[in-house]
Amino acid sequence: MLEQESNSTISKTTRLPRKRFYRARAHSNPLSDSHFPVPISPNQVDYPLHYPQLFPSSDQVDGSKKIQFADIGCGFGGLLISLSTLFPETLMIGMELRDKVTEYVKERILALRIANPGQYQNVSVVRTNSMKYIPNYFEKGQLSKMFFLFPDPHFKEKNHRRRVISPHLLDEYAYALGVGGIIYTITDVEELGEWMKSCLDGHPMFEALTHEELEADPVVKLLSSATEEGQKVARNGGQTFQAVYRRIARCL
Amino acid sequence: MEETSMEEHEQTLETEVAPALIAVHPTQQSVAAAVGSDLRVFILEEGCSVALVDDSAGPLHKDSIRAIRYGAKGRLFVSAGDDKLVKIWSTNSWRCICTVSSEKRVSALAISNDGLFVCFADKFGVVWVVDLDGSHENQPLVNKKAVPLLAHYCSIITSLEFSAEGRFIISADRDSKIRVTVFPKKPLDGAHEIQSFCLGHTEFVSCLAFVYSSDCPEGFLVSGSGDSTVRLWDLTSGSLLDIFEVGAEDLYSLMEQNRRAIQPSLIYVPLLMAR
Repeated sequence: MLEQESNSTISKTTRLPRKRFYRARAHSNPLSDSHFPVPISPNQVDYPLHYPQLFPSSDQVDGSKKIQFADIGCGFGGLLISLSTLFPETLMIGMELRDKVTEYVKERILALRIANPGQYQNVSVVRTNSMKYIPNYFEKGQLSKMFFLFPDPHFKEKNHRRRVISPHLLDEYAYALGVGGIIYTITDVEELGEWMKSCLDGHPMFEALTHEELEADPVVKLLSSATEEGQKVARNGGQTFQAVYRRIARCL
Repeated sequence: MEETSMEEHEQTLETEVAPALIAVHPTQQSVAAAVGSDLRVFILEEGCSVALVDDSAGPLHKDSIRAIRYGAKGRLFVSAGDDKLVKIWSTNSWRCICTVSSEKRVSALAISNDGLFVCFADKFGVVWVVDLDGSHENQPLVNKKAVPLLAHYCSIITSLEFSAEGRFIISADRDSKIRVTVFPKKPLDGAHEIQSFCLGHTEFVSCLAFVYSSDCPEGFLVSGSGDSTVRLWDLTSGSLLDIFEVGAEDLYSLMEQNRRAIQPSLIYVPLLMAR
């Protein structure tokens, strides 16, 4: 039986994966113990798997080049794709809990690499629960940017502890981010925006970026425009609430 | 080591009993044993048991005790477990000087070396801290409130330890992680600065202990795990210094010697010396 164009998961015209075959619910339960492989420690992260052109063989992983940007809950990969060409020398990774969505991003990156030789070699995605396994992927102070774009609001009070930004989890993000590293958060849910801002304000190892610093950072503009979620909010004329903070050394 | 997971306990409440626990006073003055909800203390010098005094109504603990501990100075003793109560005792009078309520069942306990703070971990992976604030036996029973110190996201904490001089608090969980956190001067504001993670175990970490030597007074961290290894760690960097594979026979003899004794340093020192 001939495979019809309309049934193919990869579009024959653009060579990019078609989102409708990778549909998944927006919500995923972070408490459920899914079975995916987790590196025992950061030196077990498979660099040749994620960045084959930059690490052709396992022997060449000398530890000089490491992942510096992490998009937590990267969804369909919109931000990562934009960052990849903006920061071509930086290794970056997306972390996503949903299986189908992770597959979509993998296909998307593969297709972009084929269509643009030499580009998009610095970006990859991994299916994992970042609320439990951040220390498994990143050494202390390894990251210079962390992104939390349109996270699950978990509206009910009893579910607030499932929020990806919380006072306790900020300890782990502060561990993974080097001093001077930036954490970017954005949401279209006002209450969540206030929550994230107050968690960051209350944490001794983060300080807010000044207005001037926000203006000067090219990444800030991407927060609301680069992702599918952000574009949907803009289409619907919604408001977004962002909180961008810098990791500082602890003042005792 | 006998493993009793919280989930198994919940399902088979009628038949399962929490593992018996033993704790020894730092100067071997007394021994405490907990079986189920029963807590007994024996004064070794006098060879007799002690009546525990608890002014709160009812039996001392209403449900299985999951953790017991003496303070480093031997003046304090703490017990906690499934009844969601953390009881702090003075070892002079064996009177309960303080009872702290926990929202969830308690899985691990630690007392800071200076005896000022008690930390306990609950079933959801949150470590709480209580400021003892100089409580002692002459004061009436005070009910203190605990504040959250740190958390392992959605993971049951199996062991809590303070490092020498109380610089760090170490927490180990069932997801094979060991976290070394700086214990701050004001613990009630939370312990936010993670010093390191000791990662390498491939199964739940069951216990932690410290080994001290003359050339390393700060001590090395030792951990035991369901992956049948005992590992030696450097606290500051989190790097693995050594690993000891425990064979099935060694494990059996360990169990016979120290049935769930919370003095794991006694187990591990002979192991390390045997290498």
